[in-house]
Amino acid sequence: MGWFGILSEKPWIPEARGTSAEWGRTAYTPAVKISLRFMLGIISVFFLLFFVTFISRSQYDDFLALAGEPWQPFTNSMRLWINSGVLVLASVAMQGAVYALRRNHHFRLLVLLATGAVLAILFIILQISVWQFLAGMGYSVAGNPANSYFYILTGLHVLHLVGGLVALGRVVNSLREEGDLQNRHAAIEACAVYWHYLLGLWFVLFFMLTRTPETYALIAAACGLG
Amino acid sequence: MTHIAIADQTAHLHHPKTFIGKYIWSQDHKVIAIQYSVTAIFVGLIALLLSVLMRLQLGFPGEFNFISPDAYLQFVTMHGMIMVIYLLTALLLGGFGNYLIPLMVGTRDMVFPYLNMLSYWFYLASVIVLLSSFFVTGGPTGAGWTLYPPQSILAGTPGAGSGIVLMLLSLTIFIIAFTMGGLNYVTTIFQARTRGMTLMRMPLTIWGILTATILGLLAFPALLVSAIMMLFDALLGTSFFMPAIVSLGEPLNHEGGSPILFQHLFWFFGHPEVYIVALPAFGMVSDVLSVHARKNIFGYRMMVWAIVIIGGLSFIVWAHHMYVSGMNPYFGFFFATTTLIIAVPTAIKVYNWLLTLWRGNIHLTVPMLFAIGFIFTFTHGGLSGLFLGNVVVDLPLSDTFFVVAHFHMVMGVSPIMVLFAALYHWFPLVSGKQLHTGLGKVHFWGTFLGTYAIYLPMHYLGFLGVPRRYYALGDTSFIPESAHVLNEDITIAAIIVALFQLVFVVNVIWTLRSGPRSVRNPWGVASLEWHTPDVPPAHGNWGDALPTVHRWAYDYSVPGAKQDFIPQHVAEENVEYEAGGRRVGEGE
Repeated sequence: MGWFGILSEKPWIPEARGTSAEWGRTAYTPAVKISLRFMLGIISVFFLLFFVTFISRSQYDDFLALAGEPWQPFTNSMRLWINSGVLVLASVAMQGAVYALRRNHHFRLLVLLATGAVLAILFIILQISVWQFLAGMGYSVAGNPANSYFYILTGLHVLHLVGGLVALGRVVNSLREEGDLQNRHAAIEACAVYWHYLLGLWFVLFFMLTRTPETYALIAAACGLG
Repeated sequence: MTHIAIADQTAHLHHPKTFIGKYIWSQDHKVIAIQYSVTAIFVGLIALLLSVLMRLQLGFPGEFNFISPDAYLQFVTMHGMIMVIYLLTALLLGGFGNYLIPLMVGTRDMVFPYLNMLSYWFYLASVIVLLSSFFVTGGPTGAGWTLYPPQSILAGTPGAGSGIVLMLLSLTIFIIAFTMGGLNYVTTIFQARTRGMTLMRMPLTIWGILTATILGLLAFPALLVSAIMMLFDALLGTSFFMPAIVSLGEPLNHEGGSPILFQHLFWFFGHPEVYIVALPAFGMVSDVLSVHARKNIFGYRMMVWAIVIIGGLSFIVWAHHMYVSGMNPYFGFFFATTTLIIAVPTAIKVYNWLLTLWRGNIHLTVPMLFAIGFIFTFTHGGLSGLFLGNVVVDLPLSDTFFVVAHFHMVMGVSPIMVLFAALYHWFPLVSGKQLHTGLGKVHFWGTFLGTYAIYLPMHYLGFLGVPRRYYALGDTSFIPESAHVLNEDITIAAIIVALFQLVFVVNVIWTLRSGPRSVRNPWGVASLEWHTPDVPPAHGNWGDALPTVHRWAYDYSVPGAKQDFIPQHVAEENVEYEAGGRRVGEGE
């Protein structure tokens, strides 16, 4: 039954005698899955609001985009592509872990989860090196709003990844204990989905932060912020 | 793959053995709810004290030397922020949400008890960080609860150094706490309802809490975004919100930032926040009115739809707080329209409350008195909102005491009336004891009449053009002497109302220490929370087996039934009817 159907129910009509109560439909979805959907929604709103402010701020005269001219740091964005590759591999490893879980390959599951975690940590280290690279070129946090946004947004992305690593650590730790198998499966699948989400988010950030002033003007005009 | 709802799993329940495990690091939703409530009421009392200090200054300017202009602005700011965020949001969702959700939907606990525990401790940390700003150099921020930059972080504003930083940090921690709690509430409601508890059989309290939580989860990120960006502006010298500016004769390093951008972000959070507070209150008052009128809630479906529609609309009205910010006039037209549209579902709710009372068997108990009081205060606050929602009326009234009177009636006094209704209503469930009725009635009449004595004259002050946030009015030509007299009266009324709250505190302490034990389910409530094997409910709530729900939560005074209420878990074949009595519409 869809939402319209649910909201059209007439609960004041009494149940017929002798009928048994039904489970609500959503009772079959694991809690982790439901909360993950909400969490991804919250994170999306969080970053979307940043993007709106970013596009709006990009139309001010003092905004100096990080790409477009040869001397600007991300006109050649090879560093960021390397980082992206590492995050893609992390995501692939996590998806592999989900397949291993479904086929009950316990050892392979652990190896792939560890690989996903290590690659995520490697991505974080590489992101820190990008910050050092930027700072070394004189692009400080307060130097220009474009720099400020780059540090803030990539920093927040890294923080979300750190949160994911903590959650993954707790899930792996719980594998040693006895407990409900179905919920544990759901937790590992949720970790993989979270990794994919952060990969997608990273590509959106990558795109947003390395455009030329002309592209920003176009996006701003399309959003009515120009 | 099918999954068993967590409601039915007893294995995951954390059974503490020690005192600390049971009452300090507790994962039991009921203990966490009480922790939330006690902390929220504690900070609420501090905010109440701050409001009395503010009123002393306004009523008797110059009489109290310790209230300097800076201190006055700090009191205003901290009073507002504490009341809205740390009292109302925390008590309604962290307190009542935590206590009632698992009991009302028939589960043993929240789905993530550990996260729930963390949520409270983060909340406590946010409160400690906030209160610590009273003890740092420069004191807490005095920028007003809206924290508008650039003035909030510029020298000359009280607390522009450490105070504002601690405020922003505290808000950040609070939002993390709320997100952990909120994820628990929505997941528990969607996933862990007991057998038979369909969404449309849930009490309106749960609908209110659910919708408010979703609003909070989507709106608090806007506050978090603005807090992070302002922290960067204040600490690292970035220019997100800070324009090129000369402060105390010195040009600052900021350039090009947009203070209006902060206002948009703040109110994108700030307006849904009104409904984060109001919707749980709407839900709880619906239940209290229905129970104490011994009548089913009028228009249940419409009440649910109204809650959901109000929740949705609350995201597209934010700029009605910004009519004087210089935005495009077409914006004002759009936001005035959406603002007035939101009055429609809200009015439906008010009519339904009145129709629930219509020809009901009204018991004027203390919770009922507060609930009826709420209908008055909310209607009055809502009507003045219709004035302010219109751009042309808002412009002259903006930043006057009319606005202060409006929002105190609609989201100060009204939710507080519901909170008291709820506290008196559910106190026997939480503690096993019933609060003293006589003291309760004294508390109600003092609060109800007293708040009118405060806020009705304030509307008049607003019409005169008396500005808000002013330390002293001085000799201002357009403000007559009578306004000063009125200010004195309002202050005296405020002190009296504050003292009446002590009656409540005394009532709670006396009842807990030496009050008689309450009878089981003293109000005759049909919803699940009153039908646990133990009262107060024990750890795990439901003993060996979860209840099965067979009906909605509003079967009061069912024609032909022997008892005047039928609990939700009683099947139709077990209902005793009078001889020859048969329920209309029965499915046989």
